[in-house]
Amino acid sequence: MATVLLVEDDPGARQGLELALRRLGYGVHPAASGEAALDGVREVTVDVVVLDVMLPGLDGFEVCRRLRRDSDVPVIMLTARGDDFDIVGGLEAGADDYVVKPVEPRVLDARIRAVLRRLAPAAAPAETHGELVIDRNALIVRRAGREVSLTPTEFRLLLVLSGSPRQVFSREQLLDLVWEHGYLGDSRLVDACVQRLRAKIEMDTSEPRYIQTVRGFGYRFGPV
Amino acid sequence: MRTRLIVAFIVVALLAAVATAWVINLIVPWYPWLGHLIPEPQPLVHLLYSRSRPVPHHRGLPPVNAPTPPAALAFCLAAGGVLLAAIAGLAFAASRRVLLPVRRLARAAERMSDGDLTVRIEPQGRDELARLVTTFNAMAAALEDKVSELQRMEARARQFAGDVSHELRTPLTAMTAVTDVLGENESMTGDAAAAARLVRQETFHLNRLVDDLIEISRFDAGTAQLMTDETEIATAIGSCLRARGWENVHTSAPAGLSVGLDRRRFDVIVANLVGNALRHGGPPVTVTAGLQPDGQGSQQLAVAVRDHGPGLPPAAIPRVFDRFYKADTARTRSAGSGLGLAIAWENARLHGGHIDAGNHPDGGAVFTAILPANSRRPAGPAAEAAPARR
Repeated sequence: MATVLLVEDDPGARQGLELALRRLGYGVHPAASGEAALDGVREVTVDVVVLDVMLPGLDGFEVCRRLRRDSDVPVIMLTARGDDFDIVGGLEAGADDYVVKPVEPRVLDARIRAVLRRLAPAAAPAETHGELVIDRNALIVRRAGREVSLTPTEFRLLLVLSGSPRQVFSREQLLDLVWEHGYLGDSRLVDACVQRLRAKIEMDTSEPRYIQTVRGFGYRFGPV
Repeated sequence: MRTRLIVAFIVVALLAAVATAWVINLIVPWYPWLGHLIPEPQPLVHLLYSRSRPVPHHRGLPPVNAPTPPAALAFCLAAGGVLLAAIAGLAFAASRRVLLPVRRLARAAERMSDGDLTVRIEPQGRDELARLVTTFNAMAAALEDKVSELQRMEARARQFAGDVSHELRTPLTAMTAVTDVLGENESMTGDAAAAARLVRQETFHLNRLVDDLIEISRFDAGTAQLMTDETEIATAIGSCLRARGWENVHTSAPAGLSVGLDRRRFDVIVANLVGNALRHGGPPVTVTAGLQPDGQGSQQLAVAVRDHGPGLPPAAIPRVFDRFYKADTARTRSAGSGLGLAIAWENARLHGGHIDAGNHPDGGAVFTAILPANSRRPAGPAAEAAPARR
């Protein structure tokens, strides 16, 4: 079963979430601060990071940004507020998803499963779209010959969009297909992930070639 | 005001000039040529009936190169004109001195009544007007202090409610995470099992209360934002009811009716109105949505939630949207947070709409959310939807 790095400074919340996650079958590495979390990812292999925003010292946003420098590990932000500031800040820092405290264990479980869902390799030849090569078999994306490092969420978003070139996907559809959020997901997740994906695969993010915005409707892949 | 002041000034000045001239003439007989114009000084009694008498010879100074009467008259007229102009100029200047501060005071008072409490006037001079200005400034300063103190107190109270709710979230996170463990534990029996059930149930209730408090404190802080999206009304209402497992609510909304709304907030409005009807009203509960003219040439969306219970007591109708208001004072607590209708109302207001509460003529309470409709697609014919099913 997957291993979770749980970063939460409040001892009660940390113990409670650890207990709940263990009972759900996860391996849990608790960390009480941002510094401890960054040490933690160096020492042990974790599959997903559940990261509180309000931490003493390095806050959750900063921890997320530093994690992202050399890791594509999925990050789920644990925000105490559900305030727009926290959510937007977390998404800009590179978080894959967020949950609002107090979170029910089954909700957290569903979110962790969604960000961890293994991409099933498809027996299909690598597709070439302009300078972009998407290999669904090896799960590799190359731009101009160089491999692009994507988080699982970014990868899934790219696969969904490029799976049906020119088809417009609404934010709700993408939330359902990529994040597996049910009814009334937060469409800012999609926008933030599109921004990050563009920064990695587009030559010019202000003139996106691959992931195009269809104003008022959503996003589509191409036409390249 | 200015004209009246100037006229009054001129009249007083002229009277004073004439009176002075006359008094001087009493003491020292005037230049002889003036004798044509001013009666010779003599006791008042004579003066009254001596008008027709020819002017007697002047006493005192003898005439020296006295001008002839017509020339004297012209000179007098010119001198009078110059005098009048000088007096008018003086009057104008004096009225300015009085009127300008009064006008500035009036403008300042107007700005203040428009809500600008920072307005102050530069006092000039040391007269009564200057004192009035100083008093006005002191009053404005006192008012500004008082109002800003009240605003600070109110903001603190609201901030406090928000902060408390946030603080509650951390311990609630721990509790919520572990109460499931209590529920799964089958070794507990009797009192322990009942206690575990109660803790689970109340933790759930507390979560909801804190959620709602945080939601409403966001409205108070003015940080609630509208994210509008084209929303298909029938689908949104259906999803809202399905997501909450409310299967026996009958909905009727025109198929294809799509309105620019904040989907999440619309969901909150419908869920709170229907939840309220299910808890406090009588079954069946119906939801009817449709467009109606708003009286200003546009369309508005009306979503009416009706139950078939006893209806609202008339005294409760103006207060149902108050926070924690309970129409039935005997009931200590219900499954809701007591904030549901207040939150629904705030969400409607954020859309630029409102919610009407009342009773249906055929019985039962009706809550109607009225939201401005920015519909792009035309509405199709009304389709009677079956009760929402999972």
